[in-house]
Amino acid sequence: MSVASLSGSFEREGRLSSVVPDIVDQPVRRRTEVFRRLIVNRQAIALPAMFVVASVVFTLGSPNFGTLNNLTNVARQSVYLLIISLGQLIVIVGGGLDLSVGSVVSLTSVASAMMSVVFAACPDTPLLALAAGLGTGVLIGALVGTINGVGVSVFRIAPFMMTLGISSVLFGTTLLVSGGVPVYGMPPLLGEIFGFGRLAGFPVPAIVALLLVAVTYIVLEWTRFGRYLYATGGNARAAELSGVRTHRVCIAAFMLSGVLAAISGLLLTARLGTGGANVGASMPLDSIAACVISGVSLSGGQGRTLTVVLGTLLIIIVQNGLNLMQVGAYAQSIATGGILILAMALARR
Amino acid sequence: MSTSTPAQLARAIDAQRTVLRVKGLSRRYGQLVALEGVSLDVLPVEVHVLFGENGAGKSTLISIVAGAQEPSAGSIEGHGRPCRFDSVATARAHGVRAVFQEFSLVPHLSVAENVTLGEEPLNGWRLLSKGPERASVQGLIDQFGFDLDAGARVSALARGKQQMVEICKALKRMPKLLILDEPTASLSGRDTQALLALVWRLKEEGTAIIYVTHRMHEISLLGDRVTVLREGRFVKTVPADTSSDELIRLMSGREIVALYPKPRAEVGPVRLSLENVTLAPQPGVMQVTNASVEVRAGEIVGLAGLVGSGKSEFAQACFGLRRLTEGRVLIEGVPVSIKGPADAIRHKLWYSPADRKHDGLMLERNSRENIALSGLAAGPSRGSWLRPWQEVAYLSELASAVDLSAGRLNHRVATLSGGNQQKVLLAKSLVQDVKVFVFDEPTVGVDIGACMSIYRCLSELSARGAAVLLVSSNLPELMGLTHRLLVMSGGRLVGEFKRGAFDERRILERFF
Repeated sequence: MSVASLSGSFEREGRLSSVVPDIVDQPVRRRTEVFRRLIVNRQAIALPAMFVVASVVFTLGSPNFGTLNNLTNVARQSVYLLIISLGQLIVIVGGGLDLSVGSVVSLTSVASAMMSVVFAACPDTPLLALAAGLGTGVLIGALVGTINGVGVSVFRIAPFMMTLGISSVLFGTTLLVSGGVPVYGMPPLLGEIFGFGRLAGFPVPAIVALLLVAVTYIVLEWTRFGRYLYATGGNARAAELSGVRTHRVCIAAFMLSGVLAAISGLLLTARLGTGGANVGASMPLDSIAACVISGVSLSGGQGRTLTVVLGTLLIIIVQNGLNLMQVGAYAQSIATGGILILAMALARR
Repeated sequence: MSTSTPAQLARAIDAQRTVLRVKGLSRRYGQLVALEGVSLDVLPVEVHVLFGENGAGKSTLISIVAGAQEPSAGSIEGHGRPCRFDSVATARAHGVRAVFQEFSLVPHLSVAENVTLGEEPLNGWRLLSKGPERASVQGLIDQFGFDLDAGARVSALARGKQQMVEICKALKRMPKLLILDEPTASLSGRDTQALLALVWRLKEEGTAIIYVTHRMHEISLLGDRVTVLREGRFVKTVPADTSSDELIRLMSGREIVALYPKPRAEVGPVRLSLENVTLAPQPGVMQVTNASVEVRAGEIVGLAGLVGSGKSEFAQACFGLRRLTEGRVLIEGVPVSIKGPADAIRHKLWYSPADRKHDGLMLERNSRENIALSGLAAGPSRGSWLRPWQEVAYLSELASAVDLSAGRLNHRVATLSGGNQQKVLLAKSLVQDVKVFVFDEPTVGVDIGACMSIYRCLSELSARGAAVLLVSSNLPELMGLTHRLLVMSGGRLVGEFKRGAFDERRILERFF
């Protein structure tokens, strides 16, 4: 073959374009086509559909479900899990898994409560006590996240084991520090602002959560770091060969997750008025479930912020609705688990 | 080099102008010597072909030159100055870029996102500017003449298209030296032509190219010089117009009689027939419509077509991997319902997948376990207990049948060369009693030596009365091996050719 015959084949290519439309423009049989589209896109449809179904069922099952009061309640209840799920999303997209979020919540809760109690001893500076509490919390989250990230990326420990180990370490630390009893005597200002406060009629925790959702969305979708995160989770080797410093990305992801868990812990402490070691126990699994029903792939590289918001809301709505329908706690646990499995079966790839 | 022209010699003497000079390069992995004292020089405006069997050290050599591995001994000079490539980034800084066979793409990102990865354009707010990013990548693609949408997700693309994404990625900054490792192995038709034309153009524009290929006609079409490696050692550098017989002799160290064994003369009764098969539609996959094929005992039937024409999907239909909305599958004239691979194997039918890494092999396990897997119920380990020693004895025989050295049985598949992996895949199909074989691209990215082993094995299967359906994007291979050849295009069978009437041009015309 020569170059001349190469150009000859290009001419043949010209004919290709006249052939292609024949293949594409197949007759569309309307109903089957719609049905086919539904099946193909079931992953995207499953979550909103379940959302609607759950809302309808609960509205019919309990007259109180649809009230503004209850919806505000749902919004407020979902804040804590939502913030943690955002962190979980970041870590999972980067190819990891964070089981330590619950312990971070507990430790943050206890440590920040104790710090505020210490500073509350001098009553002239309520803001100092507040800042000490918040600062301690966020610092703890960042530190724990960094340790997780270094363990996973530098020492190549599987994220599951690394964060499980850290989780145990933190839980022990929390009990050791608090002596196993709840911490009382926090400055009331904390609860007034971050627990029950309202800004322009909106609960402060919800505003914080919305802000964090917006920040997470922008970071994941519109920054270089976000792109690197998806790349690292999708194919770490490829990312590395493209010049991405995957270790840093991994550490940053865990750090963000730690900080977000800490913020959630702070808001929860402010709401409860005490610091306790058991507040975050269900958080790791709930946050992972919220991500997975939102189509976040556990193998990394996939997942969108806004769907995770929807997934979290679904979990909270189910819990809230079952409460209103006066389903007992034991039966509730069965129902929640069943619904999660159903959601994942519907959203399967 | 006795056949070099004076002009070529004059160019070679001028060391300043040599883009890359490699001297005495060696690489050992523990006891294993992958490369021993190999030298190579690449001139500007040259396509330098690396030629050799799998395991000859080509991959090691190019990964050292690209900075992905460090040599145990030897030196690299770029433009007459010594340099040390301790990472891919350093090599890139020296203008060396490589497109490896192993893709380094992120499946869930789009084409544009993959191409710009590591160098994303930012706007004034330090946020990603996605619109211009996509437009510039699309511009790049169009400039190269590839048929590719910058917005498509890489995971939804066929292997051939992914290859083009890799190439775009390597070429976003014009490199001084471009290394292409079997770039056309997974391309077919139009994209191959576009790629070859692109390589030609890049050379004319002054990029030096190291080109690894097993395809003879690409050597004569594109190459300027050919360096032949054998068993990790440098054999000879010859001009590209050296005859292919001579090249094969240099590569293998032996005379080669014929590449393709002759197909068996007479064929038996119909073993497999697919009648009017229409497959359930799936997104991103060509829908196969109303396709029929019959394969007789002792017959090798070829299925040709472009990548994405639906030929693989059609072949997968008989293994229960695709849902039939219409039509039926008959084995020895009896309609059978095949719900999945286990059913198919029960009906003595075997399908060997095209993508050995994803669908074919457990890369982290050794060859022995890989080969034995599907035959556990039938082979020496039948029953509930494994009998590893008997397995070894039984499998060594099988390994020799596919020219896989018995020592390799205990190697992890991931450490084997592409050719040996493909032989493992082939051996997998021999562990159970099968009468109908469907091979999907059995020689993708495989050197001529391994190809010949595979061809010989296929022809022996048919000689022993098996029915073979061979799906391939490599037309010469189909024309060499098969009794009959069907062409698929746009999900329909559009042509059938008998062995006596094979005509490359007429067959290719049906592709489009």
